[in-house]
Amino acid sequence: MAIDQSLIGQQFEATEPVTVTAEAIAAFCAALGEERGQSRPGPDGAIVAPPAFAVTFRNTEAFFHYTPRFGRGFDAGKEVEFLAPIRAGDSISLTSVIRKMYEKTGRSGTMTFVVLRSTLINQRRETVAHVDHRFVHRNPGEPG
Amino acid sequence: MSAAAGKRFETIAAGEALGPHEIVIDKARARAYAAACGMDSGRFHDDEAARAEGLPGMIIPGNLSLGLLSKLVTDWLGAGTGRLTRIGTTYRAIVSPDRRLILHGFVTHIEAQARSVEIDVWIENEEAERPVIGTATVVFPPA
Repeated sequence: MAIDQSLIGQQFEATEPVTVTAEAIAAFCAALGEERGQSRPGPDGAIVAPPAFAVTFRNTEAFFHYTPRFGRGFDAGKEVEFLAPIRAGDSISLTSVIRKMYEKTGRSGTMTFVVLRSTLINQRRETVAHVDHRFVHRNPGEPG
Repeated sequence: MSAAAGKRFETIAAGEALGPHEIVIDKARARAYAAACGMDSGRFHDDEAARAEGLPGMIIPGNLSLGLLSKLVTDWLGAGTGRLTRIGTTYRAIVSPDRRLILHGFVTHIEAQARSVEIDVWIENEEAERPVIGTATVVFPPA
């Protein structure tokens, strides 16, 4: 599978801002078994989301529209940098860029990895997080 | 699992363990997580849909594994001034619901000047495999 290297550096359009609600944070905390994020307000009184809430913002649909998607794909990992808290009432928008595409061959065959960096920005234009998503796709004709 | 008092930078030593913390994520909780995050792929909600993709059954989203390991670190930090600033995870194998999982962490390095701490984190399954591994960084404000 030839990798279209011209995709590297391609930036996808920013998403429409998503308003973070206390209810969304509570649902996330409940599913995670998190108590502190629900009950502990930040210094300004707003509910602060746990750091991992940052990975819930995604625009992978647009990403998959532009990049090769074949066979069975998986999330291979994440690298997340938390720069500022996300609070209830914040409005978060997301831009994403393809950072890397490469192939690896192992015992189970050849796989293509794509690293997509998403940057989360709040309504004050502060960058709140960088999330590097690492996706893997088994190449056509490979087992599994 | 929650620390009543906040962790202080001065008390942390290389080799300190986080956990182990045993947990079972049942299917209802995995579905609740996927729903809360807008992850509508059938593999996170339904055994049949997962099998149609060639999987053995419903799986736990990688983001939930990351969330559990982040929580391991933030619970260890407690209500103090230390802050989780970075986490990286690698998903090496499927994590299935309704199985016993053990969350582990281990302080590997302390940077006194930067007041930062590096931590290895991982999830162990019933077969003593590590389907999820990672590293985290926490930073404390100047003394």
